[in-house]
Amino acid sequence: MSHLRDLQLRFQEYLIDGSEDIEQDIISTEHAIAEHRLGTYYNAYRIRLIDCLAVDYSALEKYIGREAFENMALDYLQHFPSTHPSVRWFGENLPTYLRDIYSGKEAEFLEELARYEWAQTLVFDAADSAQLLQLEDMAAVPADAWPGLTLNFKPALTWLDLFWNVPLIEDALDSGTEVPQKQRDDFPRRWMLWRHDMKIQWRSLEVHEAWAIEQAAGGANFAAICEGLLEWIDEQQVALVAAGFLKQWVGDQLVLNLDND
Amino acid sequence: MTQPSHKPFLGFGLGLRAEHYQDILERRPKNIDWFEVLSENYMIEGGKPLYFLDAIRQDYPMVMHGVSMSLGTTDDLDFDYLKQLKALIERIEPLWFSDHLCWTGVDHKNMHDLLPLPYTEEAINHVAERISRVQDFLGQQMLIENLSSYITYCEDVMPEWEFLAAIASKADCYLLLDVNNIYVSSYNHHYDPVEYLAGVPVDRVWQHHLAGHTNDGNLIIDTHDQDIIDPVWALYEETAKRFGPVSTMIERDGNIPELDKVLVELDHARRIAEPYYQA
Repeated sequence: MSHLRDLQLRFQEYLIDGSEDIEQDIISTEHAIAEHRLGTYYNAYRIRLIDCLAVDYSALEKYIGREAFENMALDYLQHFPSTHPSVRWFGENLPTYLRDIYSGKEAEFLEELARYEWAQTLVFDAADSAQLLQLEDMAAVPADAWPGLTLNFKPALTWLDLFWNVPLIEDALDSGTEVPQKQRDDFPRRWMLWRHDMKIQWRSLEVHEAWAIEQAAGGANFAAICEGLLEWIDEQQVALVAAGFLKQWVGDQLVLNLDND
Repeated sequence: MTQPSHKPFLGFGLGLRAEHYQDILERRPKNIDWFEVLSENYMIEGGKPLYFLDAIRQDYPMVMHGVSMSLGTTDDLDFDYLKQLKALIERIEPLWFSDHLCWTGVDHKNMHDLLPLPYTEEAINHVAERISRVQDFLGQQMLIENLSSYITYCEDVMPEWEFLAAIASKADCYLLLDVNNIYVSSYNHHYDPVEYLAGVPVDRVWQHHLAGHTNDGNLIIDTHDQDIIDPVWALYEETAKRFGPVSTMIERDGNIPELDKVLVELDHARRIAEPYYQA
């Protein structure tokens, strides 16, 4: 191992866990001894990464309070030191950390809140879509082409399944309005997030729309989606309901274009 | 290498910050000559930051400034990072790009800090070789920036300015001389900042940074969240005397005021430096 590498490993070990071996390598002066000088880096490392996490998880911070958030973030930093050149990815593992470290219903809620906030950051800077399908484009599709239609969705769209009403709570915490009571459903509800005009949009989906959009995103054609929707919808209504979903998704500016398989 | 050998002069610029995006687009101020953008903030797929970057680029020259190249680390060069940097360079066509003379982590970890190197021959050879490889990969020369530092190593065998000059010469790269960083480090390590300036080769310096800092009594911390203080302005005047016309910009990263307040500081920089440029 080179001398420089050995020095860097000692310095980094100090930053991560306070190991003092590096002190012997640092010059002390009458104004500031080595311990104080090194402490500047030790503290800055923690402050910088806690602040970064607080930006990405601002609702979580407000929910548990600054002091609890800082303690949690310091522990997270020990478990998941950053490995990416961009600090933007430092918080990627926080939902996993919360699920693994804590237990019980509160842990489940915190994990869902964190997962929801992280999904927002991903949607916020997902790839742009130059051109999106418009409702008038759908009118041009011939009737006999509908059964084979498939959809391509834009990248700035995701969804997640949550037991708790965390989107409502996050929205209230973010906007400073009255925070609703926590509520847990017996089954997870699907929430869709997307970016439109540089703003994050969101809404919850009924179970059949949740199923349909997942199938559509996976490449199922219109006929297959209609067939699957028979689980919830009468045969006479099913094409109308499926077409209604498609119209809704196009109206929400989610669809890049149509294909036909 | 694609850059001209003469020193380009862009005038007086600012670090582009999200807090000022809208104001810049609406007013397109004429007294900002150019912007420096933080490369890592735009190494993303899409969304608001890239929208504003592209829109503002249409009206202003830009240079790119990175914090994560980790030129001094003893890990391998991160070519995934360099490929992303290259893509951004191709997107916005900056006049140049820069990063710091530092290391940011080792053993595949990132401390997200600008950590100082020992001023040794080993470090000169190590960093210069890596800068050369980066320049070869990106097809152009880069600028490296001097740090604010709070420690020096017992094994140092030369002052910082000799270290900086030796690397620039060996790697054939240019320098981004941060005037505030020289002031901060000279205070923290008890040397004469004007002696620092005298040790830096004039032809290598293509850009200056100016910024504010925080003094904790024993050490000055490079916080970029305060106005620039008079001793730093005085050192900037010395810099203008020695280096002549060098593209200068102000960095503000915390406690960010309205654009007009930063522009007052930028005009102050102009008033200090321009008389020496005309001499």
